[in-house]
Amino acid sequence: MSSAPDAGVVVPRFGTRGKAWLALLGVLIVAGLGAWAYQLQQGLVVTGMDNIFSWGLYIMLFVLFIGLSAGGLIISSAPKFFHSKRYDSLAALGVLLSLGCIVVAGLLILPDLGSPSRVTGFLTSPDPRSPMVWDFGIVLLYGLFNVGYLWLLTRRDLAKMGSRLALGVADTPAGRERDRKRAFWAAAVAMPLAVGLHSVTGWIFATQIGRGDWFNPLVAPMFIMKALVSGLALLLVTSILVDRFTRFRFPRELVPELGKLLGIFVAVHVVYLVAAERLPHAWAAHFEFWSITSAFLVGDTIHFWLWTVIGGVLPIALLAVPSLRRRIKAVFVASVAAIVGILFEGVYLIFTGYHDVNIDAAPGVTTGTGYTGLEADIWATTGSYTPTIVELLIAVGLIAVGALIVTLGLRFVPIQPDDRTPVSAGRDDSTATTAGPVATDGGRRPDGGADGEVTGDA
Amino acid sequence: MTDYGMVIDLERCIGCNACAVSCSQENNVSLDKQWNRILTEGGDAMDTPEGSYPENGRDGTLSMNHLPLACQHCDNAPCVKVCPVNATYKRDDGIVEIDYDKCMGCRYCMSACPYNARVFNFDDPKTLPTDGTGNVEERKQGVVEKCTFCSHRVKEDLDPACTVACPADARIFGDLDDEESTASRYIEKYETEQLLDELETDPNTYYIRGEMSPGRTRSGNELEGTEKKAAGNPNGVATDGGDGQ
Repeated sequence: MSSAPDAGVVVPRFGTRGKAWLALLGVLIVAGLGAWAYQLQQGLVVTGMDNIFSWGLYIMLFVLFIGLSAGGLIISSAPKFFHSKRYDSLAALGVLLSLGCIVVAGLLILPDLGSPSRVTGFLTSPDPRSPMVWDFGIVLLYGLFNVGYLWLLTRRDLAKMGSRLALGVADTPAGRERDRKRAFWAAAVAMPLAVGLHSVTGWIFATQIGRGDWFNPLVAPMFIMKALVSGLALLLVTSILVDRFTRFRFPRELVPELGKLLGIFVAVHVVYLVAAERLPHAWAAHFEFWSITSAFLVGDTIHFWLWTVIGGVLPIALLAVPSLRRRIKAVFVASVAAIVGILFEGVYLIFTGYHDVNIDAAPGVTTGTGYTGLEADIWATTGSYTPTIVELLIAVGLIAVGALIVTLGLRFVPIQPDDRTPVSAGRDDSTATTAGPVATDGGRRPDGGADGEVTGDA
Repeated sequence: MTDYGMVIDLERCIGCNACAVSCSQENNVSLDKQWNRILTEGGDAMDTPEGSYPENGRDGTLSMNHLPLACQHCDNAPCVKVCPVNATYKRDDGIVEIDYDKCMGCRYCMSACPYNARVFNFDDPKTLPTDGTGNVEERKQGVVEKCTFCSHRVKEDLDPACTVACPADARIFGDLDDEESTASRYIEKYETEQLLDELETDPNTYYIRGEMSPGRTRSGNELEGTEKKAAGNPNGVATDGGDGQ
């Protein structure tokens, strides 16, 4: 059923389900735009932020999406750097996903601004001392790099299918060979770029002396690690979904393999780095053995528990057991849990900065919101925050923009390497295949029985 | 060079809030925010002491102090270093100021400031009367604002509004680079502290604790060392930068 011109494009045309999905994204984007227009007109008073808690959902999600943008690029570039074809089947999808996430992250800054029309100040009068300027630069560079890298990985296939997106590049064997070499060099740039992106985003917080635990040298390494966790988890979630709903084929043997890798990342992040961060404080602040131990082990806020239990204990439990991590559903649940956990790590980070005020004597700080008249209480001595519907609508709308980018990429960019057989959409989990150019998980058969059957129908 | 700074004598401060009121009045500050806050060091609520009342002939332990807090005009100002668009900057004369036409409202400076000295216009400013007060133009929705040491008054050789308004003469404004200024002499002579000095922001605002200083030794509106101005506002407090007379 697939003709040569479509080869590699996993969604040759949008069917009913595809159109419904696009319509849903369209509705979410329009709702988000409407909410943003309302916020622009009313001011940020319609958000849950105030003068103490001056960054909220937008920045929490910015941090999350910066992290999510890591996985695809690293999974596609790290093997290329070592001249391995191991994850070639995920390379283009990964970069597409990175692109979608970095666009969402960049756009999330706009509704956070009180005067968004002045965002041009980043170009006209930047202060090179500001970590936010560093981040602006590297987010822009990272986004452009993703576009170029995705094009480099797919341009010969684009040429083959006669797409105008090939921009005049021809599909020749020599050209493919040259692109392979260029991909190596692109990979060599991609990895330090990704490390830079996540570190710089961490330093936005880690340089700040005034906000409690933000001023902590471990923040940047934590950001790298949480990028690896959430990025790989999102790549797994997306690959599984795209495999299910399009012709894309996610090689079944990669599931336990990447699941194991995700488990290691989660363990390094939630067990090792958290311990490394908390132990010195707990030890220095307490005297008895058990009070040191409990200060070390017991978190103080709900966000901490949501992060370490949903994003730590649950995925590690699912991924540590070999028979479990061979099940697509288990890896899927573990990945979603890891992303939810990383979301709450961001929430936890923002709350640790804003809950306490350094000089908190009464009456405190003027909140700048909730003024109802001369008798209104405009004072607060601790920070509190709950996102509003407006913030949620805007955030969901921007996430829909990212989903739209990925969806259009699936439709117009051949992300499936050309030398393999497309598989029909909508298959059940259990009919995944083991064929493909990718190294297998030590030759083990997944799940056993009929699961190993090749079901390609071309 | 000039390096403007302020000394606040906490032993003189009586917690009357006159400086806060005159600040809001002079600078057209919205009713839901304050550039200049008078905190109570004592009980959990404003103007309440900590400790216990003397009962049955015992000694009481009540204690209460007031801490006026506004922008500290730090030498190593974190807010200036984080501003991505150079909207907030340290002037050559030591004042940290905001260019309201450049500020894009990202509020990174509010995260950076350990003193919570900055406020953001979440919506349009609210003042009584509604067309504003004092001598400073209203700031629009979506920008950050804070104490400017009344730079518009300093330009006219006038002391900041809070300094003139203080009935206890607890505020002394002056040039910290001039060894002969009252501010510099008090910093030299009395026990002073810079708030949160462990954070190394090096504020231009110093607080006297311990022995009480003679306070602000002049009367009138004008900056120390400048010519005596013509008579001030007949109502007592100059709010017009001296232009009106």
